[in-house]
Amino acid sequence: MAIAQAMCNSFKKELMLGTHNFATNGNAFKLALYAEGSGGKSSTTATLGFGTTAYVTTGEVATSGSYTTGGVALTKVAPSVATSTSTATAFADFADLSFTTATITAMGALIYNDTNGDKAVCVLDFTSNKTSTSGTFTVQFPTADASNAIIRIA
Amino acid sequence: MFGLGTSSIGSVNVMTSDKGGLTNEQVADLAVEKIVSISDEAPAHIRQQANQFREHLKYVLYHYLLLARKEERGSIIQVLESSGHKEMAEYIRRL
Repeated sequence: MAIAQAMCNSFKKELMLGTHNFATNGNAFKLALYAEGSGGKSSTTATLGFGTTAYVTTGEVATSGSYTTGGVALTKVAPSVATSTSTATAFADFADLSFTTATITAMGALIYNDTNGDKAVCVLDFTSNKTSTSGTFTVQFPTADASNAIIRIA
Repeated sequence: MFGLGTSSIGSVNVMTSDKGGLTNEQVADLAVEKIVSISDEAPAHIRQQANQFREHLKYVLYHYLLLARKEERGSIIQVLESSGHKEMAEYIRRL
């Protein structure tokens, strides 16, 4: 599969190096949309997965409506962790994104750190091409808790 | 030695529309997804109750979203009519 959901391996290492700061006043993160097949602005299909280390333009969706190539800024929700157990899961969350009056076909997305060298965080696989035609394309993040949040570390 | 057990990525929900914005039903679905999450490991009768609550919540949200959009259109129509744009106000009334 050309786009496979994963937390990028480089991101795990970079957490230990202090590269990524998810605090609300920390680094700026972006979400870029990608297509498989003919949906991207590039004729080459996007290849994204655990080995992705940084933002790439190959296969990215073209600018349309309120979506612009290079990705759109994410609004961070401060990371959280339960303090009552030794096996607690820490998690980070983002506010949902909505691109309006957009004609987009996307199969997945890449979240990356716009502050620090466009370094990759994770790849999201939509499992099939999702299409909006002169309409709204909404990416809703899962419930921000230890079982569902978008980024979890236990 | 300290070891991290797991690092996981959650699944996003993608909602799209054609020739216009999301419908009231789609917005209600998005809201319900955020409010109610049901564990796969919960006992069957708990899951059943949670699903019923989820459906009821969606129904209530749908109707209030409908009302909110209608009321907003009413406010826009009033502003347009009072500033002399009666034709445009009529277009919005027919939406």
